[in-house]
Amino acid sequence: MKKFRKVCRWLHQHLGFLAVGLTLVYGISGIAVNHAHHWDANYQRGVEVFMIEPAGTGPTVDLLPVVIDRVKPALEIKNSWRQEVDIIQLFVEGGQYDVNLLTGEVIYKTFKERTMFYDMNFMHLNTGKSVWTGIADAFAGLLIILALTGIFLVRGSKGLKGRGGILMGLGFFLPLIYIVLERYL
Amino acid sequence: MRWLMLVALLFVLVGCGSEKAEEANIEAAKTFGDGVTLTEVTAISDMLADPEKFDGQTVLVEGAAVAVCEHRGCWFAIASDVEGETLRFKVEDGVMVFTPDIVGGIMRAEGVFTVNTLDLETTRKICAHNAEEAGEEFDPESITECMTYYQVAGTGAVLLKAVE
Repeated sequence: MKKFRKVCRWLHQHLGFLAVGLTLVYGISGIAVNHAHHWDANYQRGVEVFMIEPAGTGPTVDLLPVVIDRVKPALEIKNSWRQEVDIIQLFVEGGQYDVNLLTGEVIYKTFKERTMFYDMNFMHLNTGKSVWTGIADAFAGLLIILALTGIFLVRGSKGLKGRGGILMGLGFFLPLIYIVLERYL
Repeated sequence: MRWLMLVALLFVLVGCGSEKAEEANIEAAKTFGDGVTLTEVTAISDMLADPEKFDGQTVLVEGAAVAVCEHRGCWFAIASDVEGETLRFKVEDGVMVFTPDIVGGIMRAEGVFTVNTLDLETTRKICAHNAEEAGEEFDPESITECMTYYQVAGTGAVLLKAVE
């Protein structure tokens, strides 16, 4: 048992250092995406409204150069789309212009990746798949090893047979009681 | 020796979870999900003109992405060959993530075309949600007819070009 505890301590100590960076990535991103209904965790979005001289509702092919010129001369667009008879959309890098052809109102919507959060979420949600799947699985394995080895680090009243055991029981009890209340009662 | 064991353990863990890297598609600027396997494109206008005929069929559609899900990136709207018409390409949350930068780009998307008729209660909920997102007033009683919507339940997509 003494040797086993020594191995646990060694593993916990070294893998613990190794896990710090990824734990922060997953922890911070976890909070960010947990509140996806409160904010956009990946993008900063902006809206700007301004007016141009209305271009009228003729054929798109005739209107498009006129609208582009009135929105912003020499505007480079990725694409355009006649969403409705009176709405034309101009897609540009990092945003789009929704142009009302009758009123001349232009809604310029922009988006920009949130610094750090976008990359952390990219990793946390495994958007890139491929090699990150392996790294993320390895990290999950590390967390399991850290959890299991952590159980045996402390002996006595502060260990598994005392306070540590109570805290560990609480850690099992909380998710269990939540899932029973939420899903089965 | 212990260090060697630690490194070996990490390699085993990484190796267990690694997936085979997707084969590069030289025609695609970006590949989502399984990409596309069909070669014949079905016109969206044909599907929307006779939806029952295409219901349940696996189709390949092509057009500009003109809107994308802002919350989870779980759908994008693909423009039809007819002005004003769009078709929604939908995936389960997290299976594929469509980012705002695809909007304006030309997408090829493959999946099962479905005709979905909602009951009145669900129709009202959706209309209420849309009104809330648009910041508009909404009276549930103003909705008296069930909504039917069409979408492609997606298996894969490719972004053909991001910038013209």
